Amino acid sequence: MTFFTVVLRGLLRRPVRTGLTLAGISIGIAAVVALVGMSRGFEKSWQVGLKARGTDLVVSNMSGALTPKPFDASVRDRIANLPHIAATCTILVELTSIEDSDLMILSAREWGGFSWSNLKLISGRMPRDASEPAVVLGKTAAEVLKKKVGDPIQIETSELKVVGIVEGGALVENGSVILSLPLLQGILGSQGKINAIDVRVTPSTTEAQMQELIRQIQQRVPEVRAVTVSEHLNNSEGYRMVRAMSWGTSLLAVLVGVLGVMNTMLMTVFERTHEICVLLAVGWTRARIMRMVLYESAMLGLVGGIIGVALGAVGVQALGATPGIRGLLQPDLGFALLSLSVVIAVAVGVLSGLYPAWRSSRLTPSLALQAG
Amino acid sequence: MSRRILCGTYSHNHVTPPSSSALPLIEAKALTREFDDGQVRALRGVHFSIREGEFVAITGPSGCGKSTLLQLLGALDRPTSGTLLYRGQSLPDHPHPASYRACEVGFIFQAFHLLPTFTAAENVQIPMFETDRSLKERKERAAELLKLVGLEHRLNHFPSKLSGGERQRVAIARSLANSPSLLLADEPTGNLDSKNAHVVLDLIIRLQQEQGRTMVLVTHDPSIAARAERTLRMMDGRIVSDQISASPGSTEAS
Repeated sequence: MTFFTVVLRGLLRRPVRTGLTLAGISIGIAAVVALVGMSRGFEKSWQVGLKARGTDLVVSNMSGALTPKPFDASVRDRIANLPHIAATCTILVELTSIEDSDLMILSAREWGGFSWSNLKLISGRMPRDASEPAVVLGKTAAEVLKKKVGDPIQIETSELKVVGIVEGGALVENGSVILSLPLLQGILGSQGKINAIDVRVTPSTTEAQMQELIRQIQQRVPEVRAVTVSEHLNNSEGYRMVRAMSWGTSLLAVLVGVLGVMNTMLMTVFERTHEICVLLAVGWTRARIMRMVLYESAMLGLVGGIIGVALGAVGVQALGATPGIRGLLQPDLGFALLSLSVVIAVAVGVLSGLYPAWRSSRLTPSLALQAG
Repeated sequence: MSRRILCGTYSHNHVTPPSSSALPLIEAKALTREFDDGQVRALRGVHFSIREGEFVAITGPSGCGKSTLLQLLGALDRPTSGTLLYRGQSLPDHPHPASYRACEVGFIFQAFHLLPTFTAAENVQIPMFETDRSLKERKERAAELLKLVGLEHRLNHFPSKLSGGERQRVAIARSLANSPSLLLADEPTGNLDSKNAHVVLDLIIRLQQEQGRTMVLVTHDPSIAARAERTLRMMDGRIVSDQISASPGSTEAS
């Protein structure tokens, strides 16, 4: 028998209680994995989407919600002639409910802008001109909306026609309903308004030149910000809030896990007072008793963490496939997040075990004799 | 300083002729133990000494302080005042009481106190964790000890599957795990029927005699006490008589 066997026996002594504690901690960890994985997935999906469009810089005002605040399209004329800018494309993007789908990306692009060029037609055709009442659907959007070429599509109060299905090279692109900018401005009654300018820089632009360009844009148009694609979402208040909320909710779930493990370990110490006294009486040191309790609770954390990561990963994939979320984001469950979650779980176990371990080491061995 | 206790070179564990040892194994002077701020005086100044290899019975009515005394001898508790020496060293001031309990003392309790979630062999291994024995050595030692108490066929039984007599024999094997010099038995047959009590007592006495260990056995049963070499009789927290037995170790005095 090894010391590990002793630890394991302690846990298996009350299998139901151990099981319930594991369930508690694993749900907490699953929440961390799911919520953080989703918010990171959202971030990553947008980055990949922007890159697929061939965008290097995004000029927008991200102080609002998840979609940027609208601003006047004339901003583009104030920056288009800056050095190193190869092309610009004005964008109006909305997250909105379309027909039966709760949340779809509605992406209106300047007619003829470079953001159209990376879309590959799978079926149908592109709109004929800027004013044709037509949209193309990313392939995932088509599945979610259950549309095919030729079907009508209701956007706000206007009925448009699906003329093509496209492959956009990224999840966000494939999940979008894409149409020409003047068309959407007309539908929304926001003529002359956009909420982003996609900027493509010349191929030889260095990082330093890019930063200089960002500074110049800032100078010319103080009401917007220019950021590189990778920093795009970090500048969004809305996204920062989502991220904070996902961590906050996760940590709350973890706190509940801590209390659960601590309760279990305290119970187990109280329940095993007699046994712990016997261990002391036959010569176990207080340090070894403490280690036994701490290992037990760390073990609860480790096993709970592994189950939690598995639960969270499965849960997040299931969530990612629901119609409301499909096409909007791809959950990002990196190895770092998964291992961090297990580390958090073990830390939860050790932290929760500290007080019970200390209690156990305060017991007096003579109690063992009196119990006889 | 090493955290691991190194028990047992076997040097002082085996037959040391009592006469050859100048130093008593245990020496108590004016030993007292009070509880509840002096309201309960369990020991009221106890004097005695025990030589290595002796078999001493402590008798007396319930509440006379005999179990309290045994706890002090086992370093499970500390005296309120007085001196208690083990091999000439103060036991209450022992730097590592756990090491003393693990290596020098084997305890046999009335209620056995086996751990229910461990098999017989595992229970015997429990005290060995505080030594440098390897896993294999622990296993072998446990099997050897259980064979010694006649339970070689019960190694993998949990205590709940053993009879009272068998449980006490496992507890005896456990008390011998680290080859202690001193065996302390608190009413070891108190929870057993007469047949099992007989078997267990014979075993304890045989082990004491064969291996020359020092044994202090607490009992209220005069017939058990009569089998010891020497009987300390206690009353109201004091030793009232100290007698050498006429025919120690004989089977059944009554």
